[in-house]
Amino acid sequence: MILANGMIYGSEEQGKLLADLENRINATRSGAPLPAETVISALDRMAEKMEQGCFDELIPEPELREAVGFAAGMLHKDALLHRMQTELPALPAEIGRLQVRRVPLGTILHIAAGNVDALPAFSVIEGLLTGNINLLKLPQADKGLTVRFFQELLAIEPVLTDYIYVFDTPSSDLSGMQQLAACSDGIVVWGGDAAVSAVRQLASPGCKLIEWGHRLGFAYVAGNLAQTDALEALAAHIVTTRQLLCSSCQVIYLDTEDRAEVRAFGERFLPLLEAAAAKLPPDIGADAERSLRRYTAKLERLLSGKVPQDRTVLQGEGCSVTVCTDNALELSEMFGNVLVKPLPQAQLLPVLRQSKGYLQTAGLICPPEQRGALTELLIRAGVNRIMLPGEMSGTFPGEAHDGEFPLQRYTRIINILT
Amino acid sequence: MGALERLFAVRDPFAAERTEAVFVKAMQENCRYQYRHCPEYRKILDGIGFSPSDLNSTEALGELPFLPTALFKKHHLTSMPGWRIPVKATSSGTKGQFSKVGLELGALWNGLWMVLRMAKYRKLLSLRPVNYVILGYQPHKGNDMAVMKTAFGSTFLAPALHRCYALRYENGRYTADLEHVLEHLRRYVKAGHPVRFMGFPSYTYFLLQMMEDRNVHLQLPRGSKIMLGGGWKQFYREQVDKQALYDLIRRVLGVEEENIIEFFGAVEHPILYADCPAHHFHVPVYSRVLIRDVRTLRPVPNGTPGLVNLLTPMIKATPLCSVMTDDLGVLHDGCECLCGLKTPYLEIIGRVGLKEIRTCAAGAADILKGAAP
Repeated sequence: MILANGMIYGSEEQGKLLADLENRINATRSGAPLPAETVISALDRMAEKMEQGCFDELIPEPELREAVGFAAGMLHKDALLHRMQTELPALPAEIGRLQVRRVPLGTILHIAAGNVDALPAFSVIEGLLTGNINLLKLPQADKGLTVRFFQELLAIEPVLTDYIYVFDTPSSDLSGMQQLAACSDGIVVWGGDAAVSAVRQLASPGCKLIEWGHRLGFAYVAGNLAQTDALEALAAHIVTTRQLLCSSCQVIYLDTEDRAEVRAFGERFLPLLEAAAAKLPPDIGADAERSLRRYTAKLERLLSGKVPQDRTVLQGEGCSVTVCTDNALELSEMFGNVLVKPLPQAQLLPVLRQSKGYLQTAGLICPPEQRGALTELLIRAGVNRIMLPGEMSGTFPGEAHDGEFPLQRYTRIINILT
Repeated sequence: MGALERLFAVRDPFAAERTEAVFVKAMQENCRYQYRHCPEYRKILDGIGFSPSDLNSTEALGELPFLPTALFKKHHLTSMPGWRIPVKATSSGTKGQFSKVGLELGALWNGLWMVLRMAKYRKLLSLRPVNYVILGYQPHKGNDMAVMKTAFGSTFLAPALHRCYALRYENGRYTADLEHVLEHLRRYVKAGHPVRFMGFPSYTYFLLQMMEDRNVHLQLPRGSKIMLGGGWKQFYREQVDKQALYDLIRRVLGVEEENIIEFFGAVEHPILYADCPAHHFHVPVYSRVLIRDVRTLRPVPNGTPGLVNLLTPMIKATPLCSVMTDDLGVLHDGCECLCGLKTPYLEIIGRVGLKEIRTCAAGAADILKGAAP
């Protein structure tokens, strides 16, 4: 399904639409720019519609409806204005002889990943807020929610018609992807290394790339007696995110070199993890998935011959803690199966540097007097979010994304001399 | 004669009790063969600490390490050199992830007997020529999909006068053409020979719905049969609409329920399951189904839902003796079905957790594996 010129087309119309796309974009760009107020007020009305349940038929799962409510909160006028002010603070009108102005990047191609349902729409919204024309390539997993969202939005504000194009071009359609890229001043890509590398091949050297790649999260625990409530919050985070998010905790690092201490921590943490897992509603499908993945991973290890050196799996009910002796940041088996590793403060920076480009969130558990120094150390090692253990995956108004304010990347600063 | 040959020589495909011992023996022979010829399989058994000689009782079937279908998608597991494997089949994976499974001549021969026995059970063997409507893929040499092969294979159960395909191969790609099918169908009805449908339940449904919308109602000639089949997945998704489909078939084609036969099978477990007249899938002698607890992966008693583990000694070329699907199912006692068959029957109730791996953390790990020491 394609959304272009405010209308729905079948995928087979792609060729015709792409052939005319550059002309249409140029016509739009020759006209008056898209005022942010128009976008904000349209999104505000959209948020109301969402809260009234206009997507309920498409979203049967109650827990996902909750997510829609949450998403709607981010689209309300105050939230958007707050975000604009934070990310795009006012520029001085002139600096010396120069006039200074912020304008849209131009045309942005969004290549969205399928791991969060609302992501494709959110990426385009960021493009709209900054006044850009947006070409969206849908992820394969999209089930029609995104197109429906924009249809509703266009019904609210028809002016946006010329700023939103949604294509269902498969990534394998190289020529289609190239035509989309050729129309764009910038490409936003969400996804794994394969997706990012593919886009680097696709884009001409002059095209700006905005890459939101995959990341790995971890927790750092320092101090002899980590408080039980902090560990409980961490356990709840691990279980509820199922360790599937970039910000999810995969590894718990302990500020120690002592193997016995790592083991003792694992034994202390397991019952907390079990208690958190027991609170999840019983879900036969998720349990089956988890068991099957663990079993498959075990067979993979047998096949590769790489039996992890000195690892002890402490098996719990519906979860596990693996006590390790190495200190590499790596993906856990997910679904409530966390790794515990020794990492004394002195080694923290060099070890984390080996994962540069993949660092994002650290959940820090430590005595208050160490918090400042450890936070600085994590920052110097390349971590972008230092969070409380229970809120590693929290979303906050005004927060940066992987070390940047996204809206700034979707704009350019203009200098004019008169 | 080896245990495998004895198993496939049994005339009644549902005589499970009589064949229990020979099934276990054939499994042991197969396991031993895989252990000797597939290095990966050997690594797994050694790693888990299971020896083929341990496979000496019905209970031991549950101890035999099973291979998840995901493993066949990542690794090309084989126990024979390529030249001994005339048939290579792939599952119809939609995400570019599919299993490659090879079948050697012996397995094909045994498979042929299996198909004939199941076909006989459902009264599909006939010398009367028929016209075939294949609501699936037209064969061509670049397509290894198992569904296509089984659909084509089914057109030999009775001599074929003509075959027409819903998914036609033209200019290097498949296109769906239901109009073409409808045109032929009218011709077949006029000709008066029995017609046989074979294909995905979903396509059958689309075609018949289209006919009903246009008020096209035909009466297929006597002896016509509707065969429905596809992967496990199609079967599960369409299940809710089963009765609606049967009713539609009766209204639009004039074929009664007893002449509707459903099949299923999976590339990783190429055993033909045909439904009984009560539309239950009883386990044939060539296969065993174990349902495993979703947490402990231990076998559970009949009537308890869990992961579906499929066992068969039929194939030597690929270590398929015990395969774990990602389906959830229940095995019911045979006596719960009124059709008279005594072997238990399998009901698929769903699929495991997340439909696909939707995680961003996993992507980052791929590169780190390469980068970190």
